[in-house]
Amino acid sequence: MSDTTEVIEREQQTSVTPRTQEKSRDRRATSVPAVDVFEDQTGITVVADLPGVSKDRLDVKVQDGNLVIEAEASVPTPDGLRLQHAEIPAPSYFRAFTLSPDFDTAKIEANLQGGVLKLRIPRSEKARPRRIEVKLG
Amino acid sequence: MSDLYFGSDLFSEFDRFQRRIDELFGGFPSSIRAVRRGAFPQVNIGVTDDTIEIVAFAPGLNPAELDVSIDMGLLTISGERKPLTPDGDSDQKVYAQERFAGTFRRVIELPQDANPDKVQARYVDGCLCVTVNKHESSKPRSITVQ
Repeated sequence: MSDTTEVIEREQQTSVTPRTQEKSRDRRATSVPAVDVFEDQTGITVVADLPGVSKDRLDVKVQDGNLVIEAEASVPTPDGLRLQHAEIPAPSYFRAFTLSPDFDTAKIEANLQGGVLKLRIPRSEKARPRRIEVKLG
Repeated sequence: MSDLYFGSDLFSEFDRFQRRIDELFGGFPSSIRAVRRGAFPQVNIGVTDDTIEIVAFAPGLNPAELDVSIDMGLLTISGERKPLTPDGDSDQKVYAQERFAGTFRRVIELPQDANPDKVQARYVDGCLCVTVNKHESSKPRSITVQ
């Protein structure tokens, strides 16, 4: 098993599916989009592959301390199309992450370009690392 | 930890299971041009009466750098996707890197009735849609019974 699979599994354990009633009744198949997550001094960057998703079909929200990415893909196809081979079985994407309280959820920036969603989640001012000056006594 | 995992839908669980099985039985013979599951870009293929529609899910690419060609009944999609992490920045911690980065090539065997002279390709929202027309003679037609 490669390292990547390990990462994916760990990420999936932190994710939760929406608990709302109507969602569980209408349980459609969703794909889990591939993501990159990096952190630097000022915050976290999440990059997610959402091919076929336009801006109006993307829903990014913070709910109960979870960052939720939901999106619907729409690919222009002619009428009467019969699908023969599908590696992406479902046209909708869902992924959620828990956010620790040291992030400033009011200042999340989202940018969707060419099917790639880039989220910037800044750390709140209080939680940024500070160097503490040591004075000689 | 499993209690925290509100069972997501069954299909993606099966998908994960299938990938494990594929890893185990990877050595068995399959179609000579078949690629392992999870190859980039993922491809859906459909047909209509007049055309063959191929959709490659390849987000984050510059359409000018995508190479789409047809040769001997094989449709080839190739290109490169550059990694986003700026290396050299030692302060950056990477937690997940699931997105594909690097060069890719996917080859799709077109059916016999494909007409390689009539192909359109467009790149919309990170999806490459290729439409290959079929030969006139291969279109379905009803035969009148006399």
